[in-house]
Amino acid sequence: MGEEGGSVTLLCLTASSGVPLFCRTTGAPSKHQLPFSVIGSLNGVHMFGANLDVLLTAACTANTHVVWRVFHNSITLIVLSAEEGASDFALGRLLDNTFSAMVLILGLEELVNIRNIERLKKDLRACYKLIDSFLAPLERSGDLTQCVECVPVPHGAALQEGLEAFVAAAESRFGCLVVGGRLALATEPWWQLAPQELLLLSWLVGSLPPPTARDYPIYLPHGSPTLVPRFWKPLLEPLQACVRPQPHGLPPGTTLPPGVLAFLLIHREQRSSQSSVQPPGSGGEGLSPRRRARALRHFYALVAARYFPWEGSPAPPQEPFQAGFPHRARHCYVVSATHKAYAIHAPQHQLFLLLAPHVPTFALRPLAARALQRLTGDAAC
Amino acid sequence: MSPSRFRVLVSWRLGAAGLRSGGVTPPPGMEEPLSLEMPREPAPRQEEAAAGGDESSETGSCSASFSGGSDDLEPEWLDSVQKNGELFYLELSEGEEETLLQDSSSEVPAVNHVRFCENEAEVIQEGSRKERKYEPRLKKITKILKKKSLLPKHSGKKGTGGSDGHPSGPTSILKHQSTQKVGVIVQQRYKDVCVYVNPKRLPNDGAGEKLKLLEALVGIVHQSSWSNKRAEKQGEQDRSNKGINEEKLVVHGLIPGSSAIKTGQILIGDALVAVNDVDVNAENIERVLSCIPGPMQVKLTFETSVFEHEGTSQQRYKQAQSAMNNLVKLLWREDNMDLQLAIQGMPHIVMYLTLKLDSETSKDEQEILYQYPVSEASQKLKSVRGIFLTLCDMLENVTGAHIISSSLFLCGKLVQVVYWKESDKLLVIGLPAESVPLSQLRNMITDVVRTLKFMYGSLDSAFCQVENVSRLDHFFNLFFQRAIQPARLNSNASPSAQHYDSCSALFLDNLPGVRWLTLAQEIKMEIDTALSDLEAADFAELSEDYYDIRRLYMILGSCLFYKGYLIGNHLPKEDLIDIALYSRHYCLLPLAAEQRIGQLVIWREVFPHHHLQPSEASGVTGYREPEARYFLLIVGLRHFMLCVLLETGGCTSKAIGNPGPDCIYVDQVKATILQLEGIDSSIEERLEAPAIPCLSCADWFLPASRDKLESFTTPPILSKLQNTSKTTASPISKRTLFTDSSLRTRKLSPSRSSGGSDNGSEGPEEGGGLNLLATVDQVRKHERKESQSFGGSEGSGSLFKVTKKKHTLPNPFHLGNLKKNLSEKDTELYNAVKLTSGPENTLFHYISLETMQGIFITPTHKEVQQLSGSIHPQLIKNFHRCCLSIRSIFQQAVMKEKVYGMCSDSLSFPPTPLLLRFNPDLKRLSLKKKKNADSGSNLDSRKASSDLNLVREHGVLFECSPDNWTDQKKPPPTMTYWVVGRLFLHPKPQEFYVCFHDSVTEVAVELAFKLSFGLAT
Repeated sequence: MGEEGGSVTLLCLTASSGVPLFCRTTGAPSKHQLPFSVIGSLNGVHMFGANLDVLLTAACTANTHVVWRVFHNSITLIVLSAEEGASDFALGRLLDNTFSAMVLILGLEELVNIRNIERLKKDLRACYKLIDSFLAPLERSGDLTQCVECVPVPHGAALQEGLEAFVAAAESRFGCLVVGGRLALATEPWWQLAPQELLLLSWLVGSLPPPTARDYPIYLPHGSPTLVPRFWKPLLEPLQACVRPQPHGLPPGTTLPPGVLAFLLIHREQRSSQSSVQPPGSGGEGLSPRRRARALRHFYALVAARYFPWEGSPAPPQEPFQAGFPHRARHCYVVSATHKAYAIHAPQHQLFLLLAPHVPTFALRPLAARALQRLTGDAAC
Repeated sequence: MSPSRFRVLVSWRLGAAGLRSGGVTPPPGMEEPLSLEMPREPAPRQEEAAAGGDESSETGSCSASFSGGSDDLEPEWLDSVQKNGELFYLELSEGEEETLLQDSSSEVPAVNHVRFCENEAEVIQEGSRKERKYEPRLKKITKILKKKSLLPKHSGKKGTGGSDGHPSGPTSILKHQSTQKVGVIVQQRYKDVCVYVNPKRLPNDGAGEKLKLLEALVGIVHQSSWSNKRAEKQGEQDRSNKGINEEKLVVHGLIPGSSAIKTGQILIGDALVAVNDVDVNAENIERVLSCIPGPMQVKLTFETSVFEHEGTSQQRYKQAQSAMNNLVKLLWREDNMDLQLAIQGMPHIVMYLTLKLDSETSKDEQEILYQYPVSEASQKLKSVRGIFLTLCDMLENVTGAHIISSSLFLCGKLVQVVYWKESDKLLVIGLPAESVPLSQLRNMITDVVRTLKFMYGSLDSAFCQVENVSRLDHFFNLFFQRAIQPARLNSNASPSAQHYDSCSALFLDNLPGVRWLTLAQEIKMEIDTALSDLEAADFAELSEDYYDIRRLYMILGSCLFYKGYLIGNHLPKEDLIDIALYSRHYCLLPLAAEQRIGQLVIWREVFPHHHLQPSEASGVTGYREPEARYFLLIVGLRHFMLCVLLETGGCTSKAIGNPGPDCIYVDQVKATILQLEGIDSSIEERLEAPAIPCLSCADWFLPASRDKLESFTTPPILSKLQNTSKTTASPISKRTLFTDSSLRTRKLSPSRSSGGSDNGSEGPEEGGGLNLLATVDQVRKHERKESQSFGGSEGSGSLFKVTKKKHTLPNPFHLGNLKKNLSEKDTELYNAVKLTSGPENTLFHYISLETMQGIFITPTHKEVQQLSGSIHPQLIKNFHRCCLSIRSIFQQAVMKEKVYGMCSDSLSFPPTPLLLRFNPDLKRLSLKKKKNADSGSNLDSRKASSDLNLVREHGVLFECSPDNWTDQKKPPPTMTYWVVGRLFLHPKPQEFYVCFHDSVTEVAVELAFKLSFGLAT
């Protein structure tokens, strides 16, 4: 998340005693090392309220958003974001993902019944990579959408066959092919996992150093938070090697209408997504890919938090803003100084487009409709 | 010597009775002998007559109606003036008052609406009575009334009555026994009934009918002949002997249709013992009643032989209460438990906290300088004030910026808390998110702070003075009532209007502008002339050579409201907003819209930010605002409300102490309104007229049933229009004026209609999409240019160009031009103005905010009311909610813009350390900019961090379908529509919000622009 806009600091403390477990920072790290007293009062103010049955959830100043959340009465997560465009929605997702990541690595038992704090601190180091990837998601969007990001691959059928065979040989039912942090192929049972689990797994794989083979014990926060389903995929390497996916994340042969700078397509039922910040034809015009990604994320957070029906987990504690609308929002657009953005909520899909500023505003809608048609017509997802 | 001083002396010399115990306040109502002509100072009597009936109240004799002698020379509001000179006097017109009072007639007896007493010495001699003065027949808001309402209640009075030798009652044996019973029953023995009486409605019979006042005025028949004649006779013979003529006023009958029978509480057999706490009997009743000067509510106290069950009376009280007009009750500061109870469950609070604590005196809760409400609802929020203080302190240290808001979860509700920090004080307001979204709450605290500063000068002076506490309680009571249950404050309106008000209030009440009503040029002219005449202040008593002394006040400007719409403004924007915020806060605008105000006079010292704040520009020009004091005078009559900002101490004489309202100015403002009376019919006409621009009803786009769906080949909207709306009044021939030769047809581009592929193939939007578009050629070209330039780039340069072009192009849709060419008869021409292109009008609703002028335009209540249906009200609600969201995004953009504006300044000037300390990000940014400026790519870096928030336009497409769709085989038809908001920063800030049908997509710009043409300012 953090980048040019400002720093993001994530604090993890024990809920009962307020002992800091870890603190991760992105952005301007040297400047924003929070002093212990500040960490103490950030937690203290929340605890003070909790004792009086008043749950402090968020606060914001002109430049910083702060969000508190307690998980299972055991772990308190606090995030301070000085990022531009930070929202309670995005920060809420960040905390949620962070805790899920901790469960994924350590198991829920370990986190709920803390016996040895020092030990826990040490164990939590294993999560840093994954958590850091949530803090700086770069061009990815899965953390925000809580959809597993997919990438279409050529020769899908052949690879799928190979994957099935491999998984069977490994005496597992779960198997997937991950390309550049995105899911290319998966076995049928794999899709049965909760969307967030799928997401975490692919982000976990992405956060690991690139060895040739992986064998990694995990807990599934939704499916089996206490049990480790182990699986092997040593034979993935040759498969991976033979895959040369397009950088733009489009099914081969698909083109998008001109002027599309970035897109994010969500398959609503499957909770999977496809996205690219460099679709073919967009060229180097306008914003850099990094900034496109930020703009798209920001747009998604805006639309998802305010207009489109709430999807993904967990449900917000209070009825969301969109509940106040007597009618359903279907499309939404934003015209900004540097770009335009358009969103469509279709029965099967949600499409979020980032467009060049020269695209006429009145052309946004037909253009977006055409893009949706092309993307879903022969999409792999 | 000031004129008012002068007048005081004169009046003393005149020996005019009734110098009020106003403390420091000189009674400005005293007229000097020279100007005792009636036209200038309409007697209150006359005022009432004008308020009640249709008589023109310009001049005319009123001497006949003088009943109280010199009392009537004083304005009715005089006694309401508070010690600090402030006045808030509200009196409804007769009709309104009657209904309202009747509603409340069964109210708790403790509320003493109005009291009067005879000024003849013979009736009452007790000391407590003497203190009581003639009190105007209006509702009291001042503390004076509060004090008086604590005067001896009936029970207490009975005691003194007894000491005077009054027996409690002739049938004493039974009753005395009952009094010795339980306390509850004793209280039931006497009942207070409030009835509305109007002496002016008396049939003008001869004076011989003297004894019939009780019947004629109240409607109670008392046959004195039935009782002891001897006593009566003796009474006549021996007046001084009080013990003898004590005939009880037993109710023998009630006159149908009278006030007495309407209350339903006066029963035959009851005995009237007191009128407004004045003991009455058969002897003095007529005299007491003859002292009622005008329409008012009186409290009748009965001794009753029927014991009422507590429950039934409670129930009746409840019923009446619900029908009561809550808003007026609130304004009169009457305790309205019903309203209070309704929001009790909602956690809400306002607190003014100090961050600097005196460690020496560690008193409990010493950091709370002010708090409201002091109830359970706020208890929990109050208990966590430590959170607010800590967050404020800590986050400022960590982030370098003030805290803005925080969210708490308590009692199952998400509560948003917003902060306002000023020096070492912190203002905190908390409200549940379900009532007010956070972005709106931020605007609300800004408005509250601004209003308080306007009223008191600073937050400290508002909160830290003991005498302000009750005023602030009232202030925040209104604030929370408005925020939590806006609908309940407008009980008078029709359901549809009420719906519109309640769903639009949240958005419209926080716009930095006043609702503007476009009027025909000549009416505008008339208003402007009248306002200018007033502002010139060269009427006799105000001209300086009249007394050869300096005048008291200079009129800085004025603005005129009609039914809550601004129809004339001669004030700078900032002052206008200040006044609008004030009147909005005290609900004066809806009040004037729905209720006919008999008379409203508000006077107070104000502190307009605009004049008191030394601005940077002043140093350059050499102009300095004078060291002056400012006063706000608001006078309302019927649906008119005229607000005047007065200055004293500049070129006028200095104000000393706390001057109260000056009679001459009040009268002059009143006269201005009366002068404008004539235009109200044309304004009403304008309000009644079909919408300009035409609006459509959402329901017209949905086939009501299946058979209608089949007959959908022809565009149904036009025919429906003709059937249901009043647009039929518009003659076709007039329309050709616009569409004459240049009319041409144009097919909607297929791409557009195919754009909504996911909307389902059936439904009216398809029909609309395939229709031919008939547009005026010139406009079409014009709009195409616009949409191209807007579609092309959003740079400020192109924006500017387009607006400039707008002014040079003669546009037939330019309402301003239009109006100038209009003759009086041609007002129907307005009907021809349609904003959207195509044969069907696709515009549902709009709001156009002219930030520069501080006004906004939106369809009038009438226009909205004309469009009824099942979907349309939802659409209106949806639209306003969406506008909330859109505007919050725009506000971020504006905020960012300001920051960047400051930055670009800081490039040429050394950056101010204060600014940098405030915002470290800014510092980084400006440093970055400096670096970049050297490298020459400064613009890019500026954009780099700003692109997310610089939103210029934002639109949402909504879909709806009928609620009660019963057909199982077919899916319900859907209708889709856009809500689009557009923000302009250059050349002048403007915001537009429009809601239109989906069938035309690119009209937003065009709509917005055409709307702005409508401003004739």
